[in-house]
Amino acid sequence: MTEQATTMTDLKNLEAQEDIARVGEFARFWRSLFRNPGARIGFVIVVVLVFVSLTAPWISPHEPLKMGVGPKLQPPGAEHLLGTDEFGRDLLSRMIYGARLTLIVGLVAVGISATAGVLVGLVAGYAGSMVENVLMRAIDVLFSFTDFLIALSAVAILGPSLKNAIIAVGIAGIPFYARVVHSAVLVEREKDYFLATEAVGAGHLRLIFNHLLPNVASPLLIIGTLGVATAILNAAGLSFLGLGAQPPSPEWGAMLSAGRQYLTRAPWVATFPGIAIAAVVLGFNLLGDGIREAIDPTQRRQRG
Amino acid sequence: MGAYITRRILSGALTVLVTTFAVAFLIHFMPGDPVRLLFAMSQTTSAEQIEEMRQELGLDRPWYEQYFMYMDRIVHGDWGTTIRGKQPVLQLLLVRVPNTVILAISALVVALLIGFPLGFYSAYKRGTPLDTIFMTTAILGVSIPHFWLGLMLMYLFAIRLNWLPVAGEGALNLVLPAFTLGLSQAAVIARLTRSSMIDILGQDFVRTARAKGLRETVVLYKHALRSGMVTIVAMLGLLFTYMMGGAVVIENVFAWNGVGRFSVEAIMERDYPVIQGFILMFAIVVVAVSVTMDIIYGMLDPRIKRS
Repeated sequence: MTEQATTMTDLKNLEAQEDIARVGEFARFWRSLFRNPGARIGFVIVVVLVFVSLTAPWISPHEPLKMGVGPKLQPPGAEHLLGTDEFGRDLLSRMIYGARLTLIVGLVAVGISATAGVLVGLVAGYAGSMVENVLMRAIDVLFSFTDFLIALSAVAILGPSLKNAIIAVGIAGIPFYARVVHSAVLVEREKDYFLATEAVGAGHLRLIFNHLLPNVASPLLIIGTLGVATAILNAAGLSFLGLGAQPPSPEWGAMLSAGRQYLTRAPWVATFPGIAIAAVVLGFNLLGDGIREAIDPTQRRQRG
Repeated sequence: MGAYITRRILSGALTVLVTTFAVAFLIHFMPGDPVRLLFAMSQTTSAEQIEEMRQELGLDRPWYEQYFMYMDRIVHGDWGTTIRGKQPVLQLLLVRVPNTVILAISALVVALLIGFPLGFYSAYKRGTPLDTIFMTTAILGVSIPHFWLGLMLMYLFAIRLNWLPVAGEGALNLVLPAFTLGLSQAAVIARLTRSSMIDILGQDFVRTARAKGLRETVVLYKHALRSGMVTIVAMLGLLFTYMMGGAVVIENVFAWNGVGRFSVEAIMERDYPVIQGFILMFAIVVVAVSVTMDIIYGMLDPRIKRS
């Protein structure tokens, strides 16, 4: 065979061996995950959230924005399962549509954080020297402010709206992903499979996206899941302050803010959105913790 | 030790410097014309007047000149005036910053007092039902939005039971906000403490202490506890920063007169000089406290002290 053909065959062989190793780990991972009771609960909560979000128009008893479908500030009862708010809107319907917003906020924000963060981490870890230094320094500066302060500053610049709140929370999350991916790349970069693939002559892009990226996926999955939880909390916080979703949007944080003034007369208006946020965030936290335990080898060893 | 201190201070200074740079050019990132943003002008302002303002503000000069003009003003204490009332921004911020810092520190103390023992004991009783109960509470605590918790606590203690005042200033008014924020963070601290204590309790020096026949209490409190505390002290800077972030929202819930509430109002009103001001102020406070706490930690950790 020609020299070029040998190189390509070597490359294909190495990549095939990586793929085989990965499939076995996958199956083991799922089994460990579902053995964990917390992870099971978290998984159910997330599935329920997705289900409610997708079927909102069909399962919602009323229009979420329609005023006067019931008397104002009516307590939870047969007619309106969660009661009504100050404009006579059905709370249950608003909560259901709010679930949709919550899911979107969480996923899009994490999408932004992860995409940008992973890119930065990959490039910094792979390139090394000056590039790595500058990038990780920038990340360190961002990191010294907490995610909420960054999100607050970003909304201050962009202006209050749900879209900007999502972008702000997305930007705020970048340092976490950048750091985790950067550390992971530093480790993977020294491993045999990587050095071998590099020696055989794979190009930069191929090395980064075909080899480094899949192998840093596991920590990413963990912080991604936990990240959805923090993103939802941060976005709800911004909306609560009036800097995110604006009325009459049925976003849970905004609903909490609106319900404040009726705390004495109609406490249910402010109670239910809070419970919902807590439940959803709990679900993602439990799931994320479960994933971490299923992946982390130390835990597996101690189990026997 | 000296090298460590120098490094931390330089790193902090760099962060503040980068922030001044970002803040100086903030206005160019904001959607809309900078001059209009700064003066909230009506439609009747003519094009010449806008150009005049632009030149007056130096917005047409090259970026390095603009930056130096800005830094010059800042260092001399001129942080601009609010758009509405034309009040000096720096003074307004300085009045409120102590309130926020007091809230953040009080909350941190509450969080440590509740979270650390919880995490410590959970790690010791690992695997028992007690551990499960504590950690379930902790994960719930981490998931509950602190502003909602504040509302619920306010409803319970201030409105229903009337034990505490609803809003305002003064020590009694600090209780609910500090407790709310602290409780939320306690869960975080509990989880952190538990995982680090599990590692510590598994280490050789603990096993040695037990093998020497020391009483369990001595092993726990004299040896394991010390190591556990070191981990937490190392994180104090970061935890304080988290508190500052949380304080912004909590101040809003309890109408606590700190920087947080002021900032949110400014964002709503698009009061640009105040926005510039509070971002910079947050940066300075957060960096100053973090660096100080890191240096204190350096003095406690013998590995750093002796290097």
